[in-house]
Amino acid sequence: MTQQMRPSLDDPRVAIPAESTWYEPAPIPQTERQAEFLTLREGEMFVNMGPQHPSTHGVLRVIIKVNGEKVVDLDPVLGYLHRGVEKLCENADYHQAICYTDPLEYVASLFCEAAPVAAFEKLMDVEVPLRAQYIRVLTMELNRIASHTLFQGWMALDLGGITPILWAFIERDEIVDMLAALTGQKLLYNYYRIGGVNGDLNHEFMSRLGTWMSRAAAQIDSNLALINENEIFVRRTRGLGVLDAKTALKMGVTGPNLRASGVPYDLRRDRPYLVYPELEFDVPTRDEGDSLARYLVRMDEIKQSIRIIDQVLHEMPDGPVMAKLPRLLRPRPGRAFGAVEGPRGVYGTYAISDGTDQPFRMRIHDPSFVHLQLVGPLTKGNLIADTMAVMASLDPVMGGVDK
Amino acid sequence: MAWNRLTPAGRALAVLLPVLAIGGALTTVLLATFGGAIAATIGANLPIVRFLVAAVVTFLISVPVAFLLIYMEMKIIALMNLRIGPDRIGPAGAVMSVVHGLKVLMKEDYTPPSVDVPVFTLAPVVVYLASFMTLLVIPFAPELTSMGFELGLLYFFAIGGLSVVGLMMAGWSSFNKYSLLGGIRAAAQAISYEIPLTLSVVGIVILTGTLSLPKIVAAQDGSFLDWFIFRQPLAAIIFFIAITAEANRTPFDNAEADQEIVAGFATEYSGMRFGFFFFAEYVNVFIVSALFSAVFLGGSNPPIHIDVNPQILIDLSALGIGLPLIAGIAPVLGTLLFAAPIWFASSRVKGWQALVAGFLIFGGVSTAAVGIWAFVMLPPVASLIWFLIKTFALVFTFVWMRGTLPRARIDQLMGFAWKWLLPASLLNIFATAFAVLIAGR
Repeated sequence: MTQQMRPSLDDPRVAIPAESTWYEPAPIPQTERQAEFLTLREGEMFVNMGPQHPSTHGVLRVIIKVNGEKVVDLDPVLGYLHRGVEKLCENADYHQAICYTDPLEYVASLFCEAAPVAAFEKLMDVEVPLRAQYIRVLTMELNRIASHTLFQGWMALDLGGITPILWAFIERDEIVDMLAALTGQKLLYNYYRIGGVNGDLNHEFMSRLGTWMSRAAAQIDSNLALINENEIFVRRTRGLGVLDAKTALKMGVTGPNLRASGVPYDLRRDRPYLVYPELEFDVPTRDEGDSLARYLVRMDEIKQSIRIIDQVLHEMPDGPVMAKLPRLLRPRPGRAFGAVEGPRGVYGTYAISDGTDQPFRMRIHDPSFVHLQLVGPLTKGNLIADTMAVMASLDPVMGGVDK
Repeated sequence: MAWNRLTPAGRALAVLLPVLAIGGALTTVLLATFGGAIAATIGANLPIVRFLVAAVVTFLISVPVAFLLIYMEMKIIALMNLRIGPDRIGPAGAVMSVVHGLKVLMKEDYTPPSVDVPVFTLAPVVVYLASFMTLLVIPFAPELTSMGFELGLLYFFAIGGLSVVGLMMAGWSSFNKYSLLGGIRAAAQAISYEIPLTLSVVGIVILTGTLSLPKIVAAQDGSFLDWFIFRQPLAAIIFFIAITAEANRTPFDNAEADQEIVAGFATEYSGMRFGFFFFAEYVNVFIVSALFSAVFLGGSNPPIHIDVNPQILIDLSALGIGLPLIAGIAPVLGTLLFAAPIWFASSRVKGWQALVAGFLIFGGVSTAAVGIWAFVMLPPVASLIWFLIKTFALVFTFVWMRGTLPRARIDQLMGFAWKWLLPASLLNIFATAFAVLIAGR
């Protein structure tokens, strides 16, 4: 008896009748820009891409206003991955704060550790041992290569090529395994500490690194040969989403996206940190500022990173990897800003100390957030397929955008 | 009651046996009474019966062809991606695509609310129908053409173009913007590429003077230099590009570009209705490859004619009572013959393992022997094998392109069709016509 009483969705008395015209209620515009965006002219419609869509990296939602195939207007909607990292960090002590910033950019998480560590070290006047500095440079450059190879695969995948991502993942997997041997984690390493790094280089890491370095350049070249000269790839990316240097600087663009517009600004050279002044490397730039240039700049950076790793391995001194520090860190009241040049741009952390063992305020600058605002201006007037090409070439990672 | 104590198999038998008995008796009576009339009707309407039989046969062969192609694509792309690919079900994962098909059959066939139900349901049927109906005119061998009628090529283009209607129906009825975009992309693309596709074979029609596919294949008889790919190279290139777009394959798979419009026209489909789209795509790949090999690669003609004319005549009737005896003894003897060296070679091999291995080897050897005999002695078998070799080489090319190339943008795609392929195919027609005027056929 009771079984029959239980209401079922199949029951026609309970089921909600599906009507043939079922729409979301139109949102009420809050700003002038929103009102303009929500007005549909003749022949236009909204296409909602994301947060679950095959080609939005992570959980980005993009509302596209299209006229046929042409993108008229575009509005990225953020916040699906918001964890409140900045606020969490204010309730953690300085060591704990580092592991909160770790998952911000899950494809290059060493840089997200390096920025707060740099800020905290400035706050506490800690001198990092030379060997630790070399190890940081080595691991960061490895992580940069891992991130850029993944970018290469993503870019090709978003343009419809399915093979490059699997070839690119071979290199990335090797680097990730290498770093896992060193840090114990595959993705979120949590390796940098205030005053050094957590543990010296071990044998497995060094042997894997040696094997990989002996074939890295050739392997990466063969990966690049897969798509760099491909006519379809070049035609789809050349001249697409051109970002001129002036706009780029005005918008606060950094990293490879800025260097692809012809501004040779690289934190590693212009505001040197760690041991970068002692290392020899070029800052690759391109003048075109289009999607292809953004792609090629990153590919050139891989080669420079291999060059840096080579020098680091030759010049690395012996010594401790951790400075002598008290267990409980209580910096003097003050403020500090630490920044590193990551694979996507400048990662910055601004920390304020009030003399306790927890940061009073902590603010994180993430390059992906800045770059995402370019998607709108760069794609307007292009086709739907170009949205993907532009978005892929800007290489945003939603973990960092939503914080 | 006895019925309650029966097992399910017993119940099935208890129902089936009377039904079969009564049915058989009725059929016999019917045949005895109206047999002559039925035979006369079939005899009078032979073309219709022939068409029906051919349609059923093509439908039946289209499904395993799709399975084979899906497996080929999974495995070859996996090898190109430096993966292993399917390897669990069957030898080297060969049954994987069949299991995929079964999975698709068993999934929920969901009809979203607010779709146009009749159109939504009919669309996959139309698409699949358009694919496999074109198989009717494919000349697998001179003796193995389902419908070798005179307007074969025209029929192919006409029926092949019908699949656009199905895609548009799917795109329109789904009540989904991605589907709509996909359907319209498919229509624009298919219509644009239909024109250079049709115009590119006009040169061959001028040369051969026929639209019948078996006759076009027969016109390429001789060495491989007589194939139309060498006499009409420009047409071959145009044709290849156009069939790539017709079959919705990379780099022209904009209609279902998953990075842009999720799954295009198939976004709202699930279960077997999606399965029909999926199968139709692979049947299409096979069909366009078959058409290319028939029109440009000599179809069922071998690359080089070797006049050896062997006479391996086996007069089985001369053996008399010895035939069943040999047929019974040969497998046992062969198995023992192949098993013995394996058993003697290693002490670790158990007797039954050696026997199984010997049986498999005997099976392989005897199958190969029969195959070689059939290839040499039976012209249709040799023709079919040459045709399939050429077709699957082209299928491999399509899969290779899928593994290698990114996707072209929709405007580049359309621009390419109208700005380059159409003038080139017109140029090809005029050049061929001039050559025929001056030099004759």
